[in-house]
Amino acid sequence: MSADNGHSPVLSLQGMHKRYGGVHALRSANLTISGPGVVHILLGENGSGKSTLLGILSGQTRPDQGTITLGGQEVTFASPVDALARGIAMVSQETAVAPDLSVAENVLLGRGLVRRGPILSWGRTERRARTVLDRLELDCDPRARVGELPPDQRQMVEIARALSSEARILILDEPTSSLTDDEVEALFRVVRQLKREGVAVIFVSHRLPEVFTIGDEVTVLRDGATVAAGPIAAFDDTSLVEAMVGEGSAYGRNGAARPVAQGGGTALTVRGMRVPGAVRGVDLEVGRGEIVGVSGLVGAGRSEMLEAIFGARPIAAGELTVAGEPFRPRSPRHSIERGLGFLPPDRKGQGLVLGLSIQTNLTMVETIGRSRAAIPRPETEWQRVADTCERMQVRMASPALPVGSLSGGNQQKIALAKWLLRDPTLLLLDEPTRGVDVAAKAEIHAHLKTIAANGVGMLVSSSENEELIELCDRIVVMSRGRMVASLSQDEATEAKLVSSAGGHV
Amino acid sequence: MSTSTALLGKAWRATANFRPILILVVAMFIFFTVTQSAFSTDQNLKNMLADSAILWIIAMGMTFVLISGGFDLSVGATAALVGIFMVKVLALGLPGGVVLVLMVLFGALVGALLNGIPIGRLNLSVFVVTLASMIALTGVVELWSGGESSYVTAPVAAMIGVDNVLGFPVPIWIMAAVFLAALYVQHLTFFGRDVYAIGGSPIAAKLAGIRVPRTLMLVYGVMGGCAALAGAIAVGRVGAATPTVDSTIALQAIAAVLLGGTALTGGSGGVGGTALGVLFIAILQNGLSLAGVSSDWQNVVTGVILLLAVLSDRFNFSDLLRRSSEDDGAAGAGGDATGDPATLGAGAGPPAHLNA
Repeated sequence: MSADNGHSPVLSLQGMHKRYGGVHALRSANLTISGPGVVHILLGENGSGKSTLLGILSGQTRPDQGTITLGGQEVTFASPVDALARGIAMVSQETAVAPDLSVAENVLLGRGLVRRGPILSWGRTERRARTVLDRLELDCDPRARVGELPPDQRQMVEIARALSSEARILILDEPTSSLTDDEVEALFRVVRQLKREGVAVIFVSHRLPEVFTIGDEVTVLRDGATVAAGPIAAFDDTSLVEAMVGEGSAYGRNGAARPVAQGGGTALTVRGMRVPGAVRGVDLEVGRGEIVGVSGLVGAGRSEMLEAIFGARPIAAGELTVAGEPFRPRSPRHSIERGLGFLPPDRKGQGLVLGLSIQTNLTMVETIGRSRAAIPRPETEWQRVADTCERMQVRMASPALPVGSLSGGNQQKIALAKWLLRDPTLLLLDEPTRGVDVAAKAEIHAHLKTIAANGVGMLVSSSENEELIELCDRIVVMSRGRMVASLSQDEATEAKLVSSAGGHV
Repeated sequence: MSTSTALLGKAWRATANFRPILILVVAMFIFFTVTQSAFSTDQNLKNMLADSAILWIIAMGMTFVLISGGFDLSVGATAALVGIFMVKVLALGLPGGVVLVLMVLFGALVGALLNGIPIGRLNLSVFVVTLASMIALTGVVELWSGGESSYVTAPVAAMIGVDNVLGFPVPIWIMAAVFLAALYVQHLTFFGRDVYAIGGSPIAAKLAGIRVPRTLMLVYGVMGGCAALAGAIAVGRVGAATPTVDSTIALQAIAAVLLGGTALTGGSGGVGGTALGVLFIAILQNGLSLAGVSSDWQNVVTGVILLLAVLSDRFNFSDLLRRSSEDDGAAGAGGDATGDPATLGAGAGPPAHLNA
């Protein structure tokens, strides 16, 4: 295929709108790939509408409004299969390979397997897979079981699969988030090879250095709209980050409103902690009454670090203390007994038992030390439960209701409040306001500050930098399992957090 | 509203989980009473209940297993094993009461070790573990018994299987005792709460500090104990320990629990519904037998009803019934908490509801 057919763009999305209930995920988003063989970078913070836009492109999501023009022709995609038939293939963040099948089978899964009569011809299937792999200059055995390959090669298998369907546009959604530097280099070789073949690539990444290395042009989304677009050469670090987080991004700071509890000693210290596959040496300190934020991209190891401190994930190495005493996490129960609390990111599956009552959920942690043959005395719990719910401003008709009947914000308050009944030393919070509305978010932030003012140390991980800046006294930034920056409340800006997390310190 | 109507209303709401089966059981009872003169006789009802004791006791234990998110295929084999154990221990000349206690302990130990540890501690699949136990225990039973039934003439066997106390067969008394004990454990212990929490979300339970492996070991231990008690009654009623108690008893028990509104996904349900599920199977089989319908057709009907019961759960017929039977305008919306508390609260049956 000729690499240059004038000025007709390969793909153009114009005026995309998409609403999910009250959430306006996309409001007038545009994206144009100017020609074949172009690497188009898609940038945007969490919640900027990237996933929705990619969903539309790959046929998984239907836009409310907007036109898709493919090779000069207006199209609509009824399904992912439809999009694939028109030459658009997507490699998602979670690799969707079948681990028990061979590389050849994975690459050609679906319609690519070669039959001879009614019987599959393995020899031809493997040769055919070989040609696809050769195209990518991939050196792996088509007969190898995919489950036994390292993660980066598994990803390559997925890319090969996407290409085996003769895709002309390949979407790579954060392909480098789980790769090491060497593996990223190998991936880039493949991307360059695709460029030479005239395949256009949409490349999603937060890592600014690699964006400039591999990209030809860029689209930046913010709050569901395209805020910047053009050749990558027209941008630099600063202008890209500014486009992502907004001019000046003068988000309301928490200012001096909160009296920080001083001189209470440390709640938690961590020295040289390593968690297999996720955290490679973290040093950290959280004072009593201090709120420390953890920023970083998906896959930076934030969640794994919190889980490991709480004893829900094994630690390979490291010295920890809690309230000044040496602490070796063994199990969640052991950590709870030592004064730790953990608010997991998924309240429906991990933070609460939705079918059980509000009261049972609230008292679940408090009562773990009681004999299991003992009789729960709900009437003695009743007063404390009522007080706690009042203090947390939980809106409910009765504590006997299933917690699942509450709104998301109120559920989250219960998931948080159950720890308060044990007077914790340290609370580990992972995405404390995920999936709650703006009002409940502000309330939860206010509660967290009050709790901290009472001398509880907090370690808060969030993918929303705004939230961390609003909430925290200090923010540390993680990247690929390491601490790469530590910023005080006064220094922290979204721009600094984003560029540190992306590898620019 | 007068207090008695209020009480009735409360009792009615407490049945929300198993209302379809409650209506079915009552309707079927009335139907057979009207159509079969032999059905509602004192003797027939007592026999029917005593015959259902084995299923009843196993289903009570199975309720806890299902609430915890699992099931147990090995209970029939455990019951048979304990029957052989009974013969061997009686041969040692131990007194009947001691033998019974030993049997229950033995069954509990088998359940906790063979199923509880692999499922709770090693996180193995419930299906694989209990299937493996079932197969292995069936083999052990054959080896240990030599493949032959042994007659049991000790008085304890007749006592537990066929004797009457205060006009009722002993198995019926045991059913009542097991039911009350199960209700107590379900509603009035932290253990009961833990089982609901683990079935609802094992991760949430673990992160809240609940000892998930230990609790699951206990759950399968209790199941084994129930299977042992059922095995003892089986020996008593037949007068012999047979290598096969009833090869489908585990599946029947699971069916009874499901009929009673406990979900296979865990975290909800209770022994009250299970009692009705067992009664349903017992009445259906007894009534159809009296009507001269073959046991094959009884199975067909049981299977169809089971499917319908689970389907009714899907479409939430009980919800529709509740709405039409009470004027509870605001309770429909589950998303906010503004509805009538009592009506919403009756939706799922976790222990705290009854106490709050």
